[in-house]
Amino acid sequence: MNLFKDKNISSGKLALIFSAPAIFVLCVTVLIPIIYAIYLSLHRYKLKRAKRPFIGFDNYEKILTSEKFWDSLSTSLIFATSAVAVIITVSFFLALLLDQDFPGRGWLRALLLIPWAIPDVVNALLWNWLLHPSFGIINALFYMGGFIDQYVAWLSSMPSAMIWVVIAYSWKNIPLATLLILAGLQTVSKSLHESAMVEGASAWQRTLKITMPLLRPTLTVVLIFETIFALKVFDLIYVLTSGGPGKSTSVLGWSIYINTFKKLDFGSGSALAMILGLITLFLAMIFYTYLDRGEKQ
Amino acid sequence: MKRSKIKYYILVYSASLIFLIVFVGPFLWLVSSSMQLERQIMQVPPVWYPDPLSLDSYKEIFFGAFYDESYVSLYGKSSSYQARIYLGSFLNSLIIALSVSLFSVIFGAYAAYPIARMNFKGKYVLLFSILVVRLVPALALAIPIVLFSKKMGMSDRLITLIFINMSFVLPYVIWLLQAYFKTIPSELEDAGRIDGCNRFEVVNKIILPLSIPGLVTTAILAFLLSWGEFLFALLITETETSYTSTVVAAMFVTAVADVSYVTIIAAGVLAVIPPVVFALIFQKYIMSGLLSGAVKN
Repeated sequence: MNLFKDKNISSGKLALIFSAPAIFVLCVTVLIPIIYAIYLSLHRYKLKRAKRPFIGFDNYEKILTSEKFWDSLSTSLIFATSAVAVIITVSFFLALLLDQDFPGRGWLRALLLIPWAIPDVVNALLWNWLLHPSFGIINALFYMGGFIDQYVAWLSSMPSAMIWVVIAYSWKNIPLATLLILAGLQTVSKSLHESAMVEGASAWQRTLKITMPLLRPTLTVVLIFETIFALKVFDLIYVLTSGGPGKSTSVLGWSIYINTFKKLDFGSGSALAMILGLITLFLAMIFYTYLDRGEKQ
Repeated sequence: MKRSKIKYYILVYSASLIFLIVFVGPFLWLVSSSMQLERQIMQVPPVWYPDPLSLDSYKEIFFGAFYDESYVSLYGKSSSYQARIYLGSFLNSLIIALSVSLFSVIFGAYAAYPIARMNFKGKYVLLFSILVVRLVPALALAIPIVLFSKKMGMSDRLITLIFINMSFVLPYVIWLLQAYFKTIPSELEDAGRIDGCNRFEVVNKIILPLSIPGLVTTAILAFLLSWGEFLFALLITETETSYTSTVVAAMFVTAVADVSYVTIIAAGVLAVIPPVVFALIFQKYIMSGLLSGAVKN
């Protein structure tokens, strides 16, 4: 421990010593794999072939000129935009409800953690059961309500498969978004609302004119985070639809998995993963410039 | 005035009721289905509550784990492969999640301290890279990691999964803890340093004991993150020796034949119990943790 007794040690060095174990773990599990993934993406690396030559950006070129990629990118974008739209809208109203002062709201907030705590795979199992083509409760309820004439295999046809995947995904992700928006709501001052009420503004007007503008920074953060996470979706697709019916729910995450681990083309799989990473990074950059601007204001 | 109050309560409570049906209902339905008989859950219209209450599905999983096939079939039952290995996979998940939680909090605390308390060159680079790491798609890391672990003979081992899960848990932990450390008054630390403590002793004797609520919150969140992990587990595990609960839960759902539906549902319920119980017991901590991680910048 002589090292720590030395008063002359610079804080930079000390910081490095303190974070050495964490940095080591992250180097081995994140940094080196990413570098190796970039290396793989620049090679023709198929598991079945012994020769793995350097081919520059050929993998990227092939992906960007293939129809399959654009199909799965658009599937991902459709999935992400609809899921984020559902999540933000429902969370906003749910947060407004939980921001009210009424007996029992503590219970509601606690119960909100149930969908949040359920692992993605089990969430998929749950919805697989709710949507069962012969015995699912959603079929039963819709049938009794007169919405459908006969039971439907929701996950085997489009667009219902995509719609239900979006709903299942949103169901699990709404709680966290709600908690974040709720925290944002609590910074909106009550006195503003009260003075508007004196002026005769209705509840709806107050929400639109006071709450919404003040909540914009929070909503932007939630929006970007949710978009990034929705673009990475994999677990739910794996269990619920396997990219089907046909290729209609084959999002980017699913095509990376198929390319790499089913077709055993590690080169093109890595290139595809890099493209997804770049899209994510691009969104993150927008996020940080926005946050920076927000801080300076 | 009084009438508007009544109207307000009617509105708030009917909204709460819809909330409960949508967000808690599916979970309750899963639990209720798991306690029915196979022929009951296959009834149309559905049986709303289990009558008689049957624990056959759970028995299949528990007996399957502890007795061999010949003993189970004495009761006219058979257990599927998934049911037999399920409890074992729970133990694996538990070992992995506890170790990840422990190591991430220890490594994370020492890495978070300099970020929260010291000025050094590259502090913001470090902070930014921690955030970027959180956004890297797991699929991009998965490809090289699978190749590495195959080459080094490390696949199908718990230790590999413990290590890999830290790639996404550790950045999150560092982020949460540095926010928490900032809330501890620095006077306490200054007092300690005047008394002759070096930085290392300051962390061990002052910061860590004062941060126990923050450390517990972080450990719980780390546990839950690791418990629900699926992609790496799917790719790294090959046999019962390392299958995690999420992998076997997915095997239940995607099984073509041989597994009775109630057992699949019971498997889902069992996988949800640890995280949901955790979430409900520690809800106050978890909520504060979730919010500090995202809102505080």
